[in-house]
Amino acid sequence: MTTIKEKALGFTIVDRRDGKLALANMYVAFIALFIGGLCGLLQVLVRSGKFTLPWGIGYYQVLTVHGVLLGLILTTYFILGFQIAAMSRTSGTFTDKQRLLGWIGFWVMTIGTVAAATMVLLNEASVLYTFYAPLQAHWIFYVGMALVVVGSWIVGIALFMKYIEWRKANPGQPSPLLSFMVVVNMAMWQICTLGVAVEVVFQLIPWSLGWVDKVDVLLSRTLFWYFGHPLVYFWLLPAYMVWYVVIPKIIGGKIFSDALARLSFMLFLLFSIPVGFHHQLTEPGIQSFWKFLQVVLTMMVVIPSLLTAFSMFASFELRGRQLGAKGLFGWFKKLPWNDARFTVPFIGMAAFVPAGAGGIINASHQMNQLIHNTIWVTGHFHLTVATTVVLTFFGASYWLLPHLTGRVLTKQMNKLAIIQGIVWAVGMTIMSAAMHIVGLMGAPRRSDFSTYGGAAQATDWIPYQIAQAVGGTILFVGIILILYIVVNLLFFAPKGETEFPIGEVSEHAEKSPMWLENWKIWLTICIALILFAYTVPVIEMIQNAPPGSKGYKFW
Amino acid sequence: MSKKKEKDSDLKGTLYSVGLVGIFILVTWFMAFYLFIDRF
Ligand code: HEM
Ligand SMILES: [Cu+2]
Repeated sequence: MTTIKEKALGFTIVDRRDGKLALANMYVAFIALFIGGLCGLLQVLVRSGKFTLPWGIGYYQVLTVHGVLLGLILTTYFILGFQIAAMSRTSGTFTDKQRLLGWIGFWVMTIGTVAAATMVLLNEASVLYTFYAPLQAHWIFYVGMALVVVGSWIVGIALFMKYIEWRKANPGQPSPLLSFMVVVNMAMWQICTLGVAVEVVFQLIPWSLGWVDKVDVLLSRTLFWYFGHPLVYFWLLPAYMVWYVVIPKIIGGKIFSDALARLSFMLFLLFSIPVGFHHQLTEPGIQSFWKFLQVVLTMMVVIPSLLTAFSMFASFELRGRQLGAKGLFGWFKKLPWNDARFTVPFIGMAAFVPAGAGGIINASHQMNQLIHNTIWVTGHFHLTVATTVVLTFFGASYWLLPHLTGRVLTKQMNKLAIIQGIVWAVGMTIMSAAMHIVGLMGAPRRSDFSTYGGAAQATDWIPYQIAQAVGGTILFVGIILILYIVVNLLFFAPKGETEFPIGEVSEHAEKSPMWLENWKIWLTICIALILFAYTVPVIEMIQNAPPGSKGYKFW
Repeated sequence: MSKKKEKDSDLKGTLYSVGLVGIFILVTWFMAFYLFIDRF
């Protein structure tokens, strides 16, 4: 149902009521970015050895705030807000009931977030964002985390309902691409969060309440990583949504292929879940064969990843050639480099090349020993999530926020946004490169400043920690810039209408076959793969369970 | 125009770009592999 205003503008506007719900999620996301970013700054300063935290605040408390707020809260809220807007934009306005579910989910998540955050601030839960047993937090922290997950399920139900409604109203037709992608991501989330929910509800909560005194650490980690790897794809897929669907429109081109986009999303669904062991490659108690099997499944994501790279390059090249580009790479110069909505996510795409290469190294079974628990890993995921994903999210905010608030991104803000992207790239290159290199020299992750009793090896690490402090400080400037732009877009930018860009499929592309949207097939394969990869090792784990551990509080 | 359109679907640059990404991945992987063999 297009309104007269929309006809005049030539684009669809997300219903204001849905927009409010999406915006509520965005507010929480950006508040989390501010506090979490501040903690990041404190961490690099402490680790440089030149600064100590005041008022007896512990390093690991700060690191818990950073990991939880940025890794879990910023991401989940931004993604749900983005997906709510995307669904409303492409499948139509939510019904009152669906929107109510969206709000209930939001508040359940927010109560959980506040509960967990309070415990961390009271220094009752400095267990880092992975809340690994046998570190033991206050039970309220775990209940808060569980509420965040349950709240996200409720939002997920609203999204599923919208999708089902669309399919019923349009029988025999493929759903809008963006809606389809949202549903794939939420299906993956639904399946993987069951693992962490079981861990928290059946292991950690009873144990932290003292109902049982021991916890099976091996099983708890396995359940965590059954969730933990899909978690990183839950962050990444919304960025891919922007790349596949929005970026082609922004550059004035077309989506290279609808079918290819759908296929790669389904492959991500299949190969993101049965692979958690690649985080447990040094874990005793899991047979090497099962690790190897999950390593093979992990490597399968190379396929949809390269499909994505191909599809992006193809959209760019086709557009560039349309504009008259010559030669092998002439199209590169024709891209709209002065448009922050393109350039900022593009920096994110570029970061994914070293990020992906590093990921393959991490997952290469025995080779994992090279980097396991070193700060290389931190360098790696600051490229994946803290660059590729967040820069794409920032780039998306530059049209999504003004779209939802009925404002426009001014020329000055656009320029500042590009500067923001460059500042981020510079800061991250310095910080992440230093982390990668010193990680290979054995420097551990998750560690306060220490001279390790004057050990020579640890002395060699210090210059790299200073480099991280330099890079991290530049990154913090990047955080101030993005927050300045966001506040502008929310409250001060001039009124006007901004488009929510949705690309059209190239006229040369084949029509997508319906089997790509046959959930029976895909979910069956997905569950079969999970059962294949996990059933036997988990049974072995339970039958030969290690002795349970009591809880520890080291902070 | 339509003749031109046909030529548009020339995706050589894309092929080379994806190839370069692939080569980058292989090179870094072998560097890490070498380090691994050297150490363990
Ligand atoms: C100002 C920007 C940032 C700086 C300076 C920074 C710095 C750091 C440092 C130094 C660590 C590791 C500390 C250690 O292992 O002892 C760390 C960990 C981490 N960072 Fe960041 N970071 C920044 C932004 C981000 C962003 C935007 C995200 C996510 C979207 C993020 C997610 C994480 C996560 C999940 C951890 C792991 C925490 C853990 O190991 O428990 N960071 N960060
Ligand atoms: Cu993983």
